[in-house]
Amino acid sequence: MTRLLNKPLKAFGFYALIILLTSIPVYVLVVDYIWLTELDESNWLTLQHTKEKLQSREFTEADILKINQIWGELQPGVSIVKSDHKIPEDSIYEAMRPNEFDPYDSEDRFRGLKSQLKINGYLYEITIETNVEESNETLLAVAIVTISFFIILILGFILLNRNISLKSWRPFYQTLNSLKSFDLSKDQHLKLPHSDIEEFKELNKSLLNLVEKNVAAYERQKSFTENASHELQTPIALLKSKLDLLLQERGLTPQINELLSGIHAPLSRLSRINKNLVVLAKVENNQIGEPEYLKVTDQINSSFALFEDYIIAKNHSIEQKFENILNVHANPFLLETLLTNFLSNAIRHTPNGGNIKVQLKNRTLIFSNSGRNELIHKHMFERFSPTSKNQITSGLGLAIIKEIANKYGWKVAYQFENGFHIFSIEF
Amino acid sequence: MKILIIEDEASLGRDMVKYLTNEKFRCEWVSNYVAAMEKVGNYNYDCIVLDLMLPGGDGLEILDALKKLQKQDGVIIISAKNSIENKVAGLKLGADDYLSKPFHLAELSARIESIVRRKQFDSQNLIIQNELTIDLRSKTVEVNKNQVILTKKEFDLLLFFVGNKGRVLSKSAMAEHLSGDYSDMFDNHDFIYAHVKNLKKKLKDAGYGDYIKTMYGSGYKWQQ
Repeated sequence: MTRLLNKPLKAFGFYALIILLTSIPVYVLVVDYIWLTELDESNWLTLQHTKEKLQSREFTEADILKINQIWGELQPGVSIVKSDHKIPEDSIYEAMRPNEFDPYDSEDRFRGLKSQLKINGYLYEITIETNVEESNETLLAVAIVTISFFIILILGFILLNRNISLKSWRPFYQTLNSLKSFDLSKDQHLKLPHSDIEEFKELNKSLLNLVEKNVAAYERQKSFTENASHELQTPIALLKSKLDLLLQERGLTPQINELLSGIHAPLSRLSRINKNLVVLAKVENNQIGEPEYLKVTDQINSSFALFEDYIIAKNHSIEQKFENILNVHANPFLLETLLTNFLSNAIRHTPNGGNIKVQLKNRTLIFSNSGRNELIHKHMFERFSPTSKNQITSGLGLAIIKEIANKYGWKVAYQFENGFHIFSIEF
Repeated sequence: MKILIIEDEASLGRDMVKYLTNEKFRCEWVSNYVAAMEKVGNYNYDCIVLDLMLPGGDGLEILDALKKLQKQDGVIIISAKNSIENKVAGLKLGADDYLSKPFHLAELSARIESIVRRKQFDSQNLIIQNELTIDLRSKTVEVNKNQVILTKKEFDLLLFFVGNKGRVLSKSAMAEHLSGDYSDMFDNHDFIYAHVKNLKKKLKDAGYGDYIKTMYGSGYKWQQ
């Protein structure tokens, strides 16, 4: 993953590298061209000057010889010697040869201009030579300079980038952080930083709008759950009391009694679903009383005592292993709900004569119970999500566990291992 | 004995009156705050069944008024607001018990019995039924002066039967009585059979008449 701002940095850096690299030969060619043109011009000027001076006076052959000799000593670049054949016009040449004054450099490049002139009827050849920087030396110099500049450029880019990222993009990253920490079930408003940048302003505005709509939808859903569950309580209470009264009627046949007791099971399920919805609504709405310091093992023991009959009826074997004492800071009702949900799930879903193990180790409580098939993991802690095909449940037990755990920042997990369903909670 | 039922849901109010009324209890029922205040102010009751959500006022205020009037009426709160806060607030204001809706009428009846018993001045903590004597304080049972050793659950069930004499008790109501609010997490309450069977056997062995009748398909009934 690349950070947004590093992307252009890479591209800019790469582009600068290409441009600077291609600039090196171009610079070399241009510098070389300028060098040569200037030297040719300088040579030509020297030639013209020398020619004029030589022709303006009468020099004997011996004079010329002397001049050449003096030149050779004083200014080795210029020479005048007798020539025996005529060359049509001035010519420019280049030569590589060792430089006597520069023993470290193997060979130097010389740029020369050759011309002829007549003195006293004799044809003389005059050459003017100047030392030129070799192009490979120019290349090296240019390359060093260019690469130095490239490094400076990249360092500058990085610094600028960091600066820009810190300043201009700060609101963006702040927005990102606010979004990351936003929790629909806890926060009502999203707080976004102020920004002068048009795009960020637009972004924040749209986000606020979106969040506001979500919060409203969430609130509606919450109040629906709350209202629905409260509205259902009375009819359920009525059904229960009518059924109790009906049982008291004289003259009920065994068939009618059978039917009546058949109503109890679905009615308790309805009642349980509704109670669970009420609990969920309460946790969601933070309508939970003050937390207290509670001993987890005490609560587990009292849940076991509560469900003792069901455990005996299903002939489950129970194994308890508490390695330490654990106190948690939570609302007693919620802790009780959480633990009874774990335990009642284990009791109900374990086949008759199965094993239920409860272990407490450090801050982790593990409920494991024997089972045949792994439960469907996906969405297992969500409301009314099917965890297996053939179980009748309220569909809310695990959702309540998850909701309570979330409220207190506890971690719940499920796995299936060696024929055991393992639910763990880390307080 | 007089029982006042304060419940805004007419149908439920009438059901309670119907279920609770017998040779021992006389029930009155009011459905709103004003009527309830009037009754509470003018008469004394052995037990008041109080719904907290009432048209015209908060049920907790009635409790408060009772306290100010220094009345000794027993109060059992029944509320759809299944919340601990309500329960705590109610009990603090002097309520004797709390039952959250939905509940079995048998449970309500047993709880009222228990409150009334506690409120009686001549309370010896003894329930005497023919040859049966139940000592509530020491939680012991005697039949013809012979002690019968019962488990805690059998003892609870016995009290439940005594609080619902002559009425058919469903397995579901008995399971709820024993396991509390969480019994509806389970569909099968067959363990009740075992407890009742043991209770019957122990009482019978000690010489008590066979008063617990099995109502085929529906539950049990204490019949004398």
